[in-house]
Formats: sequence, C-alpha cells, structure tokens
Amino acid sequence: MRVSTSQFYYQSTQLMSQKTADVNDQMAQLSSGKRVLTAKDDAVSYSTLAGFNDDLTNIEKYKRNITMAENNNSMQEVIFADVETLLDTFKQDLLLANNGRMSNEDLQSIAAQLRNSLDQLIDLANTQDEKGDYIFSGYQTEQMPFSQQVDGSVVYSGDAGINQLQIAKNINIATNQAGDAAFLNIKNAIGDFTATYPSSPANTSGVSVESAVVTDRNSYNASAPHNYSFTFGPGAAELNVLDGAVNVYSTTTYTAGQNIPLSNGVDVTLGGNPLPGETFTLTEQDEISVFETLNNAIAWVEQGIVSTDQEQYQVDYNTILDQMNSAMNHLSSRRSDAGIRLQVLENQSSRHLDVELNITTNKSAIEDLDFAKAISEFEQSQIALQVSQQTFSKIQNLSLFNYL
Amino acid sequence: MSVSLYQTGVSGLLAAQQQLATTGNNITNVNTEGYNRQRADQNAVIGLTSGSNYIGGGTYIQDITRLYDQFSHKEQLLTQSNLGNADYLNGRLTQLDQVMSTSGNAVVGSLEQFYQALNGVADNPNDSGLRSIVLNQASILSSDFNELTSTFEKMTDAVNGEISQVATRISEISREIAKVNETIMHSQHLTQSGQPNDLLDKRDQLIGELSEYTRVSTVQDNNGVMTVMIGQGTTLVAGITPMTVQVEAGDPDPTKTQLSLVSGNSSVALKGSTLGGSLAANFEFRDEHLAQARNEIDRLAMAISSTLNDSQSSGLDLNGLQGANIFTDINTTQLQQGRVLAHSSNTGTTQAQVAINDVSLLPTDEFEVRFDGTDFTLYNLTTGGSENLGAPGTGTPAGTHTPSSPDYGFSFIETGTPVAGDRFSVIPTKNSGALMKATLTDGNAIAASTAIAVTPSSNNVSDGAIEITNVINPVAARAYDVTVDVYESAPGTFSYRVYDTSSPPPLPSIATGSYAAGASAVIDIPSGSPDFQIEIKGDLVGSGTNARETFVLGDAFGVGNGNHAVAMAKTQETGVTNGGKETFSQSLAVSTSVVGANASNAALVADTAQALYTQAYNRNQATSGVNLDEEAANLLKYQQAYQAASQIISTANTIFDTILSAVR
Repeated sequence: MRVSTSQFYYQSTQLMSQKTADVNDQMAQLSSGKRVLTAKDDAVSYSTLAGFNDDLTNIEKYKRNITMAENNNSMQEVIFADVETLLDTFKQDLLLANNGRMSNEDLQSIAAQLRNSLDQLIDLANTQDEKGDYIFSGYQTEQMPFSQQVDGSVVYSGDAGINQLQIAKNINIATNQAGDAAFLNIKNAIGDFTATYPSSPANTSGVSVESAVVTDRNSYNASAPHNYSFTFGPGAAELNVLDGAVNVYSTTTYTAGQNIPLSNGVDVTLGGNPLPGETFTLTEQDEISVFETLNNAIAWVEQGIVSTDQEQYQVDYNTILDQMNSAMNHLSSRRSDAGIRLQVLENQSSRHLDVELNITTNKSAIEDLDFAKAISEFEQSQIALQVSQQTFSKIQNLSLFNYL
Repeated sequence: MSVSLYQTGVSGLLAAQQQLATTGNNITNVNTEGYNRQRADQNAVIGLTSGSNYIGGGTYIQDITRLYDQFSHKEQLLTQSNLGNADYLNGRLTQLDQVMSTSGNAVVGSLEQFYQALNGVADNPNDSGLRSIVLNQASILSSDFNELTSTFEKMTDAVNGEISQVATRISEISREIAKVNETIMHSQHLTQSGQPNDLLDKRDQLIGELSEYTRVSTVQDNNGVMTVMIGQGTTLVAGITPMTVQVEAGDPDPTKTQLSLVSGNSSVALKGSTLGGSLAANFEFRDEHLAQARNEIDRLAMAISSTLNDSQSSGLDLNGLQGANIFTDINTTQLQQGRVLAHSSNTGTTQAQVAINDVSLLPTDEFEVRFDGTDFTLYNLTTGGSENLGAPGTGTPAGTHTPSSPDYGFSFIETGTPVAGDRFSVIPTKNSGALMKATLTDGNAIAASTAIAVTPSSNNVSDGAIEITNVINPVAARAYDVTVDVYESAPGTFSYRVYDTSSPPPLPSIATGSYAAGASAVIDIPSGSPDFQIEIKGDLVGSGTNARETFVLGDAFGVGNGNHAVAMAKTQETGVTNGGKETFSQSLAVSTSVVGANASNAALVADTAQALYTQAYNRNQATSGVNLDEEAANLLKYQQAYQAASQIISTANTIFDTILSAVR
C-alpha cells in the first residue's frame, strides 16, 4: 500500500499518544494502589465496592455503639456490684442485731449504721455518669431519680425509659436500666401479697405467711380489690378467710402447713401452729422496693430490745430477712443482666471484626491493584512507548531528500 | 510544416517545467490539511505525416489532476462523523464519570458524617454539642448536593455553549462552501479542461470539518457545484445559496437549547439528536446522560430530605415539641411549581404543579401532560407509557390527578382552563438537589425522643408484642394514657380492646376487634385521623377474659430518651428509593455505575470509531496523500527530463550550426 508522508506522521503520533495514555493510566493506578479509581474503570465492581463501603460504614457505626453500650453497661455492673456488697454488709448487721445479746445502745448504733447504709444505697441509685446524667432515671436523665422523704420512704421520679443502641443490623441493645426496674420492682418473697399481723393483741403462736400466690388470675381478676382477712378459731382447727365480707375459704380441719386454696384463685401456705383467735390480713403487693425493705429492717432494729410478743418479733424479722434475700437476688440478677449484655457486646464486637476482615479482604480483591501484574504491565507499556518513539525517529530520518 | 527539433525540445522543457512545478507544489503542500496530491498528465503531441511516416512532435501536459477517490473520501467523511460523535461522547462521559465518582464520594462521605453525628445524639440525647454537629453535617450534606447540581448546571451550560459555537461554525462553513461553489461555477469554462484543484480541495476540506460536527452527504452537479446535506438529509448548502444554523432557547425548558435551520426569513427546527457527529453527541449527552444523572441526584436529595423530615416529625425534640424539618420540605410551592414547565405554545390559563406523595415510587423519568380537549393524559417520555388523568378539575381535592397504573408517587395538580393541545413538561425530581437546604438552626430541635412507649404488664404470660408503628402527631400522642388488652377469645382468634387507662370497660373503648392467629392488627389511635398507630402481633393468649395480656401506652418523652434518634439513624440502612430497594448510598452507587458503564462503553465505541477512521484515512491517503520520497524521485525524474530536453535543443542547435557552417 502506498503510504503518504502525513499518514506516517499521523499514525506514529497517534500510536505514541495512545501508548502515553496507557502509561499515564497505569501510573495513576500504581501511585494510588487502586485498580478502580472511578466507576468507568469497572462499573460492575464499582457498585459492589459501594456496597462493601456501606457495610464497612455500618460496622464502624455498630462498633462505636458497642463501645458506648459497653461503657454504660460496665458502669451499671460496677454499681450493682457495690450495691451487692452494701446489701451484704447490711444483712450481716441485721443478723448481728438479732443475736439476743445486744444492749439497747448496741441496737441503736447498729440502726445508725444501717441508716448510713441506706443513705449510701440511695446515693448509689442516684449515680451520675461522666456527663452528669443520672443513670437510673430512665429517660429523665436530668432528674435525680431517688429522693428520701421526711418519713424515710424513698420516692422514684424517673420513668421506665430504656435507651437502646443499634449494635448490628437487627440487634438493639439496652444501654441503661431504669431505676424502678432496678430498685423498686423486687419480687415479694412470699408471692403476690403482703401480710399484716395485728400489733395488739399480737399473735403469740408465731404464725406467718410462707407463700400467697395468685394461681388463677382469671378468677382472681373477676372481682377487685381483694383484702383477705384470716381468722383462726373459735374451733381448735377452724380457719375462716373473708375477702371483704365474702367468705372465700372455710375449714374446721386446718392442719399446720396445709395449702389453703382461696376460692378466687389464690393459694396460701402458712408456717407455724396458729392458735384460735389469731388473725392477720393479706393485701396485694407483688413487688417491694429495696428501700422499703431496708426501712422496715431499720425500723425493726430501732425497736430496741423487745420483751413482749417475742414470737411476732421473730416473724417480722424473718419476713424482713426473706425480703432482704429477695432484694439481694434481684440486684444480683440486675448485675448479671449488665454482665450478660457486656458479653453479648463482646461477642457481637468480635463478629463484626470477622465480618470486617472478610469485607476488607473482598474489597481489596476487587479494588486493589495487583502490583506484580501492574508493574510488569507498566514495564511493557513503557517499552512499547520507547520502541515506538525510537522507530519513529529512525524512520522519520529516512528520506530520499537526504541523498539529493 | 516540418518537424522542428527545437519545438520538440521546447515542448519537453515546458512539460518538465510543469511537472517540476506540480511536484514542487506537492512537496510544499505536504503538510497542508485537505490537500490532495496532484499529477501533471503528460501526453505525446500527435505526430506529423511525412511521407508514409508519422513523426512525433513532442509532448504536452494534458491536464493537472488531483488524485482523488470520491468513494474513499466519502468513507472518510462518514467515519469522521462517527469519530466526532464517539470522541465527544467519550470525553463528556469521562468527565461526568469523574464528577459522579469524586463528588459522589463526597456526598457519601457527608452522608456518613451526618449519620455518625445523628448516631452520637442517640447515645447522648441531651448533649447540645452533639446536636449542633448534626446540623452542621446536615448543612454540609445539602451544600454537597447544591455543589453537585451546580456542576451539572455548568456542564449543561458548557454543552449549550459548544452547541452554539458549532452552530456558528457550521453557518460559516455553509457560507464558505457556497462561495467556493460560486467560484468553481464561474471558473468552469467550456473551453478549459483543467480542474480548479485547490478550490476543490478547499471545499472538500470544509466538508471534512463539517463532518466532524454532523453527518454530511453531498451531491455534485455537472458544473461541479455541490449541494451539501446534513443530518437526515436537511439541505445546508443548495448550490450557491447557504443556509445558516441558529440556536434557540428550548421550549419549555430554556436550558435545553435547540437548533434550527434558517434560510432567509423561514426557519425549520432541526432535531439535534439525529444530526450525527459531535452535535448529536452534545444533544445525547445533555438530554440523556446528564439529565439522567441529574434526575438521579435530585431524587436522592429528595429521598434524603423526605425520609429524614418524615422521621423528624414523628419524634419529639429536646423541648417536647414535634420535630421540625431538617431539610427543605420537598413539597414547597416553589418546588412543586418548578416541576412543571408549560410550553410557550399553550393558550389555556392552566397553572400546574406536581406534589410528591411517595419518594420510594418516584422514577427518574421525564413526563409530559397533554390536554386533548376533554382529558389530561400523562406520557412517560422515558419509557413510553401513558395514562389518562381525567378531565380538568376532577380528583380530590379538585384538580389533583394521581397516576395509578403505575403509581409514580406524585400528583399532577392543576387549576385554570386548558385549551386542547396544551402541553406541560413534568420532571418530578427537578430542583430538589439545587434547592436542598438544612433548614433547622437549633440543635435542640432534633427529635431524638420518642413520644410514647409500650409497657407490658408483668402479669403477661405469652409471647407477642405491641409496636408503635407510626407517630403522626407526637405531641398529641404524648397525652395518651392508653391500655391495650388482648386474649384468645376463641381458639385461633385474638380479641383486643384499646381504652383509656382511666376509663376502662365497660366504659366505651377507643377500639375493639380481633385478629386471627399468625396475623396482626394495625390500629389507628384515634380512628379517623390518628395521632399514632400501633400494631398488635403475636399469640397473646392471656389467661381468660378477666386476665388478658395487658400493655400500657404512655408518655415516653424525656431529655435522656434517644430512641427516636436511633430510629432516625437507622434510615441510613433502610432501602428508600426504587421501591424501597436501595439505601441512599446504594442509590448513588447505582447511578454512578450506570454513568461509569456508559463511559466505558463510549470509550470502546470511540476506540472502534478511531480505528475505522484511521482505516478510511489510510485508504484515502493511499490515493491522495503526498509521499515525499515519491516526490523526490519525481523531482529527479523531471529534472533529468528537463536536462534531456535541453540537450535536444542543444543538439538541434549543433545541427543548425553544422548546416550553417556548411554553407558558410
């Protein structure tokens, strides 16, 4: 084929500029270390990469949330541990107060110590975090949750709010425990009712309620409210239970420790050998706050030495101690709640790390440059460019005019 | 007449001179654009009879012709048009790809930062520092969108500028070709056999340039006058009459400039996209690729604004007020009106606007609404579908027309009286990116708190839950203290009651009803225009008609409540656009990769076009190009011929001298 001079120049320059463009592209890839710089480089990979980046962003978010949730939950864990120790000491003191060899002064000093413990407990329940927010007041974080009234009772002014943080696509985890759930909603040790024993004349047999539980809520809820009064006698083994004015149970053959099934779905068991003429009442109360229990305990110790009604004195003590144990169990379970969350967070966090590693690997497989290959390609392009430059300058020199 | 050796010699000299001149001309024009090499065609003078013999009488140059193959020239023109088209599109798409990839990354980055800040608020709902960071990030995000859309606008301007420059150049070329035509016509004397080579070259070169801009076809008449047609056969130059190409503002969108062919007082509209060459690429890029990318970005901006504003409005801010819009409302009057452009030819008084109902259904298509005298019809210009929207003034509220098959997620709203033939262009996503703004100024106004919470009773015995699915009026919802109780009234049927906690049944309930096992019940509270909605689901068995599973719904507002911020932060992972399939960043990635795919496609097409052009160019050059070596050889050849011819004269002279000396 006939080749014109300008054709030769046109083609050579075009070839060279194409090779230069190649080298330039490869240089951009080499210097960034990335194979896909814009969507044009690999449109399919680009959207995959965007998906990976999305996942990584989300994981980053989850990890931040996990750190936050860890901080919050471990703070609670620490406080519940303190509360446990505190209640333990309190219980020791209470046991000490019941050993019978204490003088009135001893008992008063123990009572003072117990009151001190109660104050510490309230203080712990009012713990603030590093930002000054109360950690046990639900959503009302600027409101001090627990305040002691003049009569010694403790009032909760937070709410039941629980904040959650997202720690995985479909997993939210609580970052706080509301004060009512933590300190107020403690299961009544004997079930769903609280017994009130008469003060004078007091029961002398030491009869006590061991359990009083609603077993059939449907029939229990059929009427309301319920106030049961238990009366023994006049027969030797006679027991009558009235719900207001309605008789809900009646027997003449009561044996100690037997189950007393009240007609509206409540089962009661008593301890001790009740004597005719003894009475007590049951009112519904399925939860007793730890503060109430401690207040009851303090009031019990503050009675000083009791010379009369020893039996009832012991019944009261046992009731308090049972409730004390229930409170301690409850707070332990709160603590382990926080502990379990910490464990969940840790598991989730390591899962995220695995996924992150996996995504990063996949991402790099798509996005990152295979340097060995890229460099050898770069060398090739470079040589090709060099060769075309050299050929051009050689051939360009060839002209018949040189010989004229 | 006798044979003259002198004459013969001189004819050789003259011929060699012309050939040398032609060769010289070739050599000097080696780099002249559009130059076709020329050749002096040499012929022998018809000999004289002398007795029984013919004696040659020398030589003459019959013609100086261009070596020109009209077929390969036309092939080159065609491939040049294609190359112009492909090259231009490649360049522009590469630019758009870079814009989308880099600015797109910036948008994704700001979006991440925004959500990160929002997530921070979820953890520390009453930290006003974190709250103001959210607002800062929101304004950065919106300005990223503004920036991106203004880049698109600049690109549109650049394309329009290019179109108008090319139109001007085409008009110039048209006039020049007409002039060349005229000169050629005048120079063609009947007596003259030679061609006006340089004029022809000039004209071919003009047509070559024209072919970069548009597809060209030519017809030449017997007088050598050429008629030039562009595009689909629109005459640009009719012999010696040039027409010009003019740019006009687009109708109804003035930024979509159009071309028209002007001849004297009349003008005809040219369809830019069918012109071929770089002009068509300009139109294709502006009206398809750029418009599409722009619509996608606008839709994304709209989706983000709408989702976050909606989310805001169902929560409570730090002051217990309903969350106000973070970003500009997507249905401001300005935006609604901007989405509809009335054609200038409309004669009716109809004022139209478009309201967005559901961003997830919104396509990035462009629409047109036409009035045929009785009904409005919506045409989807992108997919080609159409739907009758009914007569003017119909719909509720009056004049609101909502397409239903398919539901595009918007309503066309009109007032006034249309006239048959009125047309309205509808771009539902228009301006969303450009007018996106962070409107919230007070960090405390971020609705981090939920309004109500569900507290299950501790006596509940079975699985199942009540969820608050939607809060329409959080301030009003807060005031509710509602109890919901559920039990299995018959096997497989769960009955529920929703009532005010302070006035339990038998007083009237807010709602009662039942649902089957495995199903759920969604309840508006209050029914009619609800303040919030709840969903009851699961097997809430209960322990009898007196002991149902009970849930209390009550005020949850608190400065430490960050649960709504958590819900808002979750919208980052929620699919919104394209029927709820794509998250925000996925949506952007899809748009970008579409541009990327188009760009890499265009690069391939451009490579192919370049190869085809090079082939055609080579073929053409093989015939018409100047080769210096060849010319050098010719130079020597003609030089020798010249010297030899001189020798003839010298010989004749010697002969003449010999004769003279004989008679002396």
